[in-house]
Amino acid sequence: MTADQKIYRFAYWLACFIIAATLLSGYHKILYPADFALAVYRFHLLPEELVNISAIYFQWLEIICGLCLLFVPKLRVAALWIALVLLLVFSGAIGINLVRGTAFSCGCFSNAPDAPPMDWMSVARNAALMALVGLALIGFKRSGETAH
Amino acid sequence: MKTILKQIGIILLISGVVSFLANSVHPRKIPWVQSWSNQVEAKAKQNGIKVIPLSVALQKFQSLEEPATFVDARSVDEFEAGHIPGALSIPFQSLEEEFPMIGSLIDSGQELIVYCQNRECDDSLLLAMELQAMGAENLVLYIDGFEVWQKYGGVVEQ
Repeated sequence: MTADQKIYRFAYWLACFIIAATLLSGYHKILYPADFALAVYRFHLLPEELVNISAIYFQWLEIICGLCLLFVPKLRVAALWIALVLLLVFSGAIGINLVRGTAFSCGCFSNAPDAPPMDWMSVARNAALMALVGLALIGFKRSGETAH
Repeated sequence: MKTILKQIGIILLISGVVSFLANSVHPRKIPWVQSWSNQVEAKAKQNGIKVIPLSVALQKFQSLEEPATFVDARSVDEFEAGHIPGALSIPFQSLEEEFPMIGSLIDSGQELIVYCQNRECDDSLLLAMELQAMGAENLVLYIDGFEVWQKYGGVVEQ
């Protein structure tokens, strides 16, 4: 393995770790599913029949992607692509609600009523995470690792 | 690419199975489908009333630049037991007795923040709709109510 490949592999691992830590930090959604369902409802983007199902599914999808990034090298690239799509969807949803003038929190890292309302920093944070996913995917490709 | 798509499918499937099982045994499990349109905040939205959570209510309470008036829609007894400092008591149940005060309140043009006990009570929504019908334009509904205000350390006056 060349020095460049080592650097790319390090970048890939580091980016995967940061993205996994971010995804796993949403564990409160699993502890308090009703609060997260309320946060999903408050986006006013889904028909009411899909609010709870989406809230239940996405909280686990995030956690399982985070666990795959940390512990299942075979599924790491797939988890990165899912994380990218999730981040794109969440950013779009936050952007739409910011334009609408919502006063609510995005429910990303806390469901507490005193959590600060969503703002453009939430979108910027997601953009930075998407850049990290891109870095991880490039790092993976150039380090010579394989998805098995 | 085909391998990655297959792996994505595996993750999506595992997440589906885990979420189904987890919600079935979760001590705080939620129904798969629930009627959200019956919620007080959904009704407020349908009536064009802006809804704010605790975080924003606290900001407005502490703001010196844009003073807002909190309006307590609960009963007099509940109000006297504890309320947001400076709040005016206008119980929805005895609205007619408060008409003179409401008139001057609306004329003041100050932002009115209406609240009641918790997220489920609808006295604040009904009062907000009445105030709106009487001409109040600068009006919001603080949805989490006094219960959450107290629980999260908001200042209370008795």
